[in-house]
Amino acid sequence: MLLEIDLDPNWNDSQPIYRQLRDKVVTMILEEVLKDGDALPSVRQVAAEYQLNPLTVMKGYQELVDEDLVEKKRGRGMFVKEGAQTALLRDERRRFLDDEWPQVIARIQRLGLKVGELLKKLNGEER
Amino acid sequence: MNAIVTARGLSKRFGETKALDNIDFTIAPGRIVGLIGPNGAGKTTALKALLGLTRFEGDLDVMGYDPYRQRAELMKKVCFIADVAILPRWLRVSQALDFVEGVHPQFSRERAEFFLAKTQISHKQRVRTLSKGMVTQLHLAIVMAIDVRLLVLDEPTLGLDILFRKQFYETVLGDYFDDQRTIIVTTHQVEEIENILTDLIFINDGRIVLNESMDNVAEKYVELLVAPDRCDAARALGAIHEREILGKRLFLYEGVAKQQLSELGELHRPSVADLFVAKMQGVAA
Repeated sequence: MLLEIDLDPNWNDSQPIYRQLRDKVVTMILEEVLKDGDALPSVRQVAAEYQLNPLTVMKGYQELVDEDLVEKKRGRGMFVKEGAQTALLRDERRRFLDDEWPQVIARIQRLGLKVGELLKKLNGEER
Repeated sequence: MNAIVTARGLSKRFGETKALDNIDFTIAPGRIVGLIGPNGAGKTTALKALLGLTRFEGDLDVMGYDPYRQRAELMKKVCFIADVAILPRWLRVSQALDFVEGVHPQFSRERAEFFLAKTQISHKQRVRTLSKGMVTQLHLAIVMAIDVRLLVLDEPTLGLDILFRKQFYETVLGDYFDDQRTIIVTTHQVEEIENILTDLIFINDGRIVLNESMDNVAEKYVELLVAPDRCDAARALGAIHEREILGKRLFLYEGVAKQQLSELGELHRPSVADLFVAKMQGVAA
């Protein structure tokens, strides 16, 4: 997590780091670790903790600004915009319904599972 | 923005040996530049020239000064931690602060105290009772308390354990660096600074082999992991280096379109260490 000391952030080498940083923040917003109106850790703080050059951090934050998830308040830093989580959830839901759900349905049909069985399972797990 | 350092045709000979062979480079403010090269490549000579500690041929401008002729002036504007940084063993920490306060007009005792307070070092201690890591912390506390625009670090973390090393760069990034300051750092521990750098300079045999911003490095260089049956196709695209990895072959390309490469295999971002090896060895099977 971003605010905790993380000795090994595990950057992968298939995506630029600023992009991975952007994804980390998005996950934190989705999981409500960062809520609407919360301040993001300062560029300096992230740079020091993750041992990144500040330009990389700024680039990652700029992505979030461009996506309208984060806003810059002059002299005060970066903040999660009102409605950011709702917007992200909407996108995630759409992505799930468009990309993942058809695959899940196909698999359910291949396995010959009945809707009733699935619902029973779902209710059972929620109890 | 005015450059902090401009070198044009910078050369330095020791007898027949050319330690620096007609090199050009520019360093802008607000950058963290890694100067990377094998032993004897000319890194320390370049830093010495920059700090006015050695004569040189060619043009060198450091913040408007000729470093060799105007060294006294320049010393008010730069800071330096040498790889062989030594403090007298009998010196007390408080005396070290007294001394720098006396000789350096840009030194803030308050800042130094602020940095020292974060360490285990006490004012009464003599240098000989400090561990190697603590000596480096003391150096860093003093150097970061000097308000200058250029900080030169020559192998600053040599011989320190991993916790001290991490803490060193954490302090530099968290409490010192900003867009008005510039840092030039040399190290053999490339992997620990590669994400910190904004610019990369490779030097070998007194010449510059690579000089790019990290953004450009990411654009220009890419690694491609290829299954054995597609090696010929990969080779035909002009890799600058290739090596075997887990039964597959890893090719490194310079300036080849990623789109074209991605059809042959998986793309990866090369580490600075891998790039360094490739640039030093050239194409090797």
